[in-house]
Amino acid sequence: MAVKIIESCVNCFACEPVCPSNAIYEAKPHFLVDAKKCTECEGDFPVFQCASICPIEGAILDSFGLAINPPGSLTGIPPEKMAEAMAELQSH
Amino acid sequence: MQLPVLNDTPSHAEHGAKGGCAASSCGTTENQMDTLPDSIREKVQNHPCYSEDAHHYFARMHVAVAPACNIQCHYCNRKYDCANESRPGVVSELLTPDQAVKKTMAVAANIPQMTVLGIAGPGDPLANPERTFETFRRLSQEAPDIKLCVSTNGLALPDAVEELSKHNIDHVTITINCVDPEVGAKIYPWIFWKNKRIKGIKGAKILIEQQQKGLEMLIAKGILVKVNSVMIPGVNDQHLAEVSKVVKSKGAFLHNVMPLIAEAEHGTFYGVMGQRGPTPDELQDLQDSCSGDMNMMRHCRQCRADAVGMLGEDRGDEFTLDKIEDMEIDYSAAMEKRKVIHQAIQAEMDSKRLEKAEKARQHKQEPKLNTRPVLMAVATSGQGVINMHFGHAKEFLIYEASPDGVRFISHRKADQYCGGDSTCGDGETTLQITIRALAGCEAVLCSKVGYEPWEQLEAAGIAPNGEHAMEPIEEAVLAVYKEMAAAGKLDVIPEAIRASAS
Repeated sequence: MAVKIIESCVNCFACEPVCPSNAIYEAKPHFLVDAKKCTECEGDFPVFQCASICPIEGAILDSFGLAINPPGSLTGIPPEKMAEAMAELQSH
Repeated sequence: MQLPVLNDTPSHAEHGAKGGCAASSCGTTENQMDTLPDSIREKVQNHPCYSEDAHHYFARMHVAVAPACNIQCHYCNRKYDCANESRPGVVSELLTPDQAVKKTMAVAANIPQMTVLGIAGPGDPLANPERTFETFRRLSQEAPDIKLCVSTNGLALPDAVEELSKHNIDHVTITINCVDPEVGAKIYPWIFWKNKRIKGIKGAKILIEQQQKGLEMLIAKGILVKVNSVMIPGVNDQHLAEVSKVVKSKGAFLHNVMPLIAEAEHGTFYGVMGQRGPTPDELQDLQDSCSGDMNMMRHCRQCRADAVGMLGEDRGDEFTLDKIEDMEIDYSAAMEKRKVIHQAIQAEMDSKRLEKAEKARQHKQEPKLNTRPVLMAVATSGQGVINMHFGHAKEFLIYEASPDGVRFISHRKADQYCGGDSTCGDGETTLQITIRALAGCEAVLCSKVGYEPWEQLEAAGIAPNGEHAMEPIEEAVLAVYKEMAAAGKLDVIPEAIRASAS
């Protein structure tokens, strides 16, 4: 049982101090979770602390490999709208 | 034409007609600082972000030691750090406190007019208390001649006030975009509070309470507070006059209303969703409407969280980590040199202030013109004089001349964020972009103008003027205004001009 930080992490440090198990550490090219230490906050908090402060959708996965903050959940930008804007930019 | 969103506020045509304006910076005699108590003026006279006058002479820098943030704003995206972009929240290199101290001392030694070190991100400084306070603690000991200031969203502010006051930080900026949680919910999608992500109105309400509490606590400690607000048309534009009243009543001394920066390529909520920023007219109208209640800042450049140099310039490239690594800094020697230079600048500022007051006194004795106000653009690289070639200007300062005198309005950028019209955009030349940026201005004052821009400026109804090179800005603007009046160019009814400009 452990969460995982993936490559979309922007290294903002926000998660590191809020982890109750000190499982998160600075690494290259992005922060990582020590799976042996991660408790998924069980016994400490009802919600994942790292994923509750992380500003990047999709950067933290649960133990099933699913994004705890799926696209659109944090920014409020509907994913299709984001895709549209990015396609528009790339066409230039 | 009155703008619909601001119909309870005086337009600037009315300012002229009433023969007075509420802004403290109005008239050639007064500048933004003249109406402040001496104790405050003393504190801000060499702070480029707090004094309009000082920003012509002194430089600032930000060190990017604070990456984490505890809230999300709809105008911010934490993913990008494009070197060509200039907006808050953007940095190229994150620094450790140790690197930040080294960089600060390197800049202070090489740019002696740098008086202020701020921590402004790229996240929220107070969401990174250890990194932020370690930097402040060391700088207050090792570089005691540098003013320290911090900019925050306010969520963690009440808990940080005690620590801030310990480090001799006497300037704090709080970004307050609203005092109403319903407005707040449209700006802040979430906050991280007491181990939970809290969304919507509930989150906004907590943020607003913390901001207001922090503001009150800072004032009680005697710390100067500036309030920044981002003007978001259709979201908080009609609400910001209320914000201005509230923060003034609690003791904030300066209100800085900034335009929203939102482009789809920034990937922000507002950018992607097509939220527009305010036009220069809308911004000015709102600033004017707040100015009856509050001392307004109009010279903000919304700089990056790692900016270095005079406002509007960025010399960050000269002080990258690998470059400062090789610099040997003898800070006590640098401090001696800085002291001498600061005294000389101060003396120059004081004598110019006296000169300005004298000119204004003379102006008041002359028969008052009965002409409409005019906007003029000025190209300057500092020192309060017209000293820049039209084609070299990356930004222009906008002044309003009227029968009451000359007042500073804003700056306008001449080049786009990403710099290259060959790689993006619709093929508009830099000159065309610049001329478009000067819309509403009827003259541009610079040290020189080339032949090609001269013709195009004239065609756009902006009179190029290179006759006042090296003259003090306000004097030159007033002189041009008088020439225009004498030539009968100012007899048109203001509404017509206003309508065509907006």
